[in-house]
Amino acid sequence: MIAPRWRKVFRDIAGTPLRTALAVAAMAAGAFGVSMILTSYSILTRELKTTYSDTRPASAILILDGPVTDAIVDFARRVEGVADAEARPVIGGRIRIGAGQWLPLTLFVVRDFRSMRMDRITGATAIADDEILIEQSSLGITHATIGERVIVRTSDRGEHPMRIAGTVHAAGLAPGWMEHSATGFVTWNSILRANAGVESQQLRILVNGDRLDERHIRDVAKIVERAIDRKVTRIDVPTPGRHPHAAQMDTFLFLLGAFGALTFALSAVLVANMIHALLVEQLRQAAIMKTLGASTRQIASLYLGQVSILAVIALAIGLPLGISAGRAYARFCASMLNATLTNEMPPLWVIVAEVIAGIAVPLLVALAPVWRVSRISIHEAFSNGAGSHAFGTRPFDRWLARMQWLPRPLMLSLRTAFHRRGRLILTVATLAVGGAAFIAALNVSAAWTRTLEADARARRFDVQAAFGRSYPVARVSQALATVPEVEQAEYWIEAGADLGDTRVSLVGPDVNSKLLALPLIEGRWLKPGDDAAVVVNQSLAGLHVGNDLVLRINGRIVRWRVVGVVKELAPHANVYALPETILRATRQPRDMTRGVRIVTRRHDVASQVAASKTIEHALDRAGILVGGIRALDDARQAFADHLVIIKSALIFAALLVVLVGGLGLTTTLTLNVIERTREIGILSAIGATPRTIARGVVVEGVVMAILSWCVAVILAIPITFALDAATGQMFIQSALDFFMSPAAIAGWLLLAVVLAVLSSFHPARRAARMAIREALAYE
Amino acid sequence: MITMQRVSKTYETPAGSFNALRNIDLEIGTGEFVAIVGKSGSGKSTLLNMIGGIDRPSSGLLSIGGTNIQSLKHNELASWRGRSIGFVFQFFQLLPALTVAENVMLPMDFAGVLVGKARRKRAEELLDRVGVADQADKLPSALSGGQQQRVAIARALANDPPVILADEPTGNLDSETSAEIFRLFAELAADGKTLLVVTHDAEAAMSVSRTITIVDGCVA
Repeated sequence: MIAPRWRKVFRDIAGTPLRTALAVAAMAAGAFGVSMILTSYSILTRELKTTYSDTRPASAILILDGPVTDAIVDFARRVEGVADAEARPVIGGRIRIGAGQWLPLTLFVVRDFRSMRMDRITGATAIADDEILIEQSSLGITHATIGERVIVRTSDRGEHPMRIAGTVHAAGLAPGWMEHSATGFVTWNSILRANAGVESQQLRILVNGDRLDERHIRDVAKIVERAIDRKVTRIDVPTPGRHPHAAQMDTFLFLLGAFGALTFALSAVLVANMIHALLVEQLRQAAIMKTLGASTRQIASLYLGQVSILAVIALAIGLPLGISAGRAYARFCASMLNATLTNEMPPLWVIVAEVIAGIAVPLLVALAPVWRVSRISIHEAFSNGAGSHAFGTRPFDRWLARMQWLPRPLMLSLRTAFHRRGRLILTVATLAVGGAAFIAALNVSAAWTRTLEADARARRFDVQAAFGRSYPVARVSQALATVPEVEQAEYWIEAGADLGDTRVSLVGPDVNSKLLALPLIEGRWLKPGDDAAVVVNQSLAGLHVGNDLVLRINGRIVRWRVVGVVKELAPHANVYALPETILRATRQPRDMTRGVRIVTRRHDVASQVAASKTIEHALDRAGILVGGIRALDDARQAFADHLVIIKSALIFAALLVVLVGGLGLTTTLTLNVIERTREIGILSAIGATPRTIARGVVVEGVVMAILSWCVAVILAIPITFALDAATGQMFIQSALDFFMSPAAIAGWLLLAVVLAVLSSFHPARRAARMAIREALAYE
Repeated sequence: MITMQRVSKTYETPAGSFNALRNIDLEIGTGEFVAIVGKSGSGKSTLLNMIGGIDRPSSGLLSIGGTNIQSLKHNELASWRGRSIGFVFQFFQLLPALTVAENVMLPMDFAGVLVGKARRKRAEELLDRVGVADQADKLPSALSGGQQQRVAIARALANDPPVILADEPTGNLDSETSAEIFRLFAELAADGKTLLVVTHDAEAAMSVSRTITIVDGCVA
């Protein structure tokens, strides 16, 4: 037989469905938010670590100046410190995706699909020498289907019909759709290998010992370089243990974690608010129980028991929903990173932690109000107005009371809103934090858009083409003259160089070029006569005006002085110098070029893409081999696609916080109505219509929403700064330019007011429907 | 049974301090049925609250059944109250979520008096005694005011306390029902309970054995 006091607990829970529902919703929202974020966080960190390491990523890639034979591979394997070695030539080419439309294609030549020793792929089947296995994330952008024959063009101008035999998954590669570039795999004897000149001859090695130690890897690679009987032109060491998109992932997980903590804190506040209100309602009943002989401990255990029951119900709702949402989100993020999740279950500790937090947090925040209710003296509880200050006892109330020029119903709404000061502050703060997160998310999004727009102003050409080798400028310019879309073309000097272990690009724009106007972070741009002066971009962190830049170009060391640092939308290192400076260092002839930058007559994306087709066709006819051609806006789009995951995380997390904030608003309004039941009865008795009463509640909600909006705008400033710095640093090694989006600010005002009206709908209706008799009899 | 020596109670309010009771000396014996009368605000309820341990005196000595109330700690006071005092209020103060029988069982639950079915049995007996046994499984909201007050009296008797305190128990009832409630009180007094009833009801107060009039916080 259940003791009557526990029956009271169950009946209170069942007998006040609205309040119970609000309290459970508040707790469930917290449980949902936290479990969703914790679930996706834990699945992603676990799975990405293993999916990437399971591919056995190569420690270093040595690029040789001739074919990587089996003999070289065998020899490399025997070098001390080398765990394994494999030849993996790479063919740079393009795949036809429509009439005159080509997409960059990278093809990896695999010695033996059955025993890939490193950078493994999954799903490979035996294929013929005229077939390709396409990476799954690239299939969509090739517009091809499995079994279809496609045209592949290699840099020797060869065009080869190849059959797409199937898809594979290469978890170690960035997703093709995001890179706007396709990836595939071909056999050792592939027909594409007729001309070895088109290949990058790669020897991949896996080191023994600490595979995460970059210095150790370089040391081993150097030993291999000296040991093998081939010239090594370059050694690439991918950041050990890091997926190529690990930076995106880090930013994403950071945001997820930060917003998770925020949701957790906000819902705890909301739950505290809710429990406090629930218990204030119980003051009188607690007092009655005391007159019947209940001890403080008995009353406290009663209410803590009630909170525990609500918490368990909330957990039963929030936890499974949060876990499935977290799993779905983890799946979405994995697809962004070209990873597949082998195990979508969150680890046990996550579930245990969620259950403990889901019950412990409500109990913890309930301690103070429960203590207060249990300790309250019977006299205090029975006297009027227990648990609140009478309106008019505080200076702010008196100030409000003097604002008599307002319409009386509005005045009443305002005074009501400000009456429960603590609750008002909590409600406004919760909503404001959600709003600030929302505004900041849109601000960062807008800042990225502006960064891309700024890049369009800084690089004023529309199409950029790179050639397979050098061609006389006169021949290229003759070919372009036949293309009516071309308005202007510039032939900049370009070369590669090594800065220590970093590969940098040397770019020599025409000294009078109007096509480049990169924003300076420090120093100045190049000017005629700058013999040994260079301007670097922000990717070369640590270099400042006045520093010397020491580069190795074709085996020779050159020393240049940095005169300026520019900021550009490029994750890789660029060094700008006058053409003569580069020509002198590289000993290239002046009248030869490896690329061209073109201004087209029309500048929209469609015209750019159309023009690039015509240009490629013209160059092709002139016998100029195009290695790659890209419409700039298309490239910018590829960059923007990298931000999708970050933006989605930001918006999603902000919406979660907004949801909790909206729930807080509903809770507060409902509680205010419940507590003012008698007052509403009096209002009705003296002639207020249900409409007037309902309007009062809505106005109260809107006042809170507007207040929260003001706070949100201020709060959004530091959050935006932090996010601009975090996401900017990840992608362009520099903080984004701070920007407060007017659309975001106005949007949040609108959303907050709509949220307020929606939140007040139920309380307003409840208030309006209350019968006078019932309301006046309310205890 | 109840001894008060120079008991005073002073409240501090924003409007200044207010003397609700001044130097009350009072002796009430076992089985007495006492009416406490006086105007609104004279201090009747305060006096009752002192005796019930709901409020503490600012000064003076208060002993009930040999227990010095002032010496009890917060929790000791609660369990003492549960066993020694039965309260009846003007607005009945039944817990709305519990049935009539459960309301009566609640004090036993808190005090740990009886177990299991014995509690239910006692509740039924008490309800029978006050004449509402047929309402045992209804919620208070389904009962009339008079019935609710009978339940409240049954609840006050739950732990068989020696003292019953009632604060305007008939303030919300019609005269016929009021008379019935006072008859019930008289029976309880006859059974040896000490009853103190604050009332405005002059007619009902006729049935008591003694009347104490309070004027401005003093026994007149």
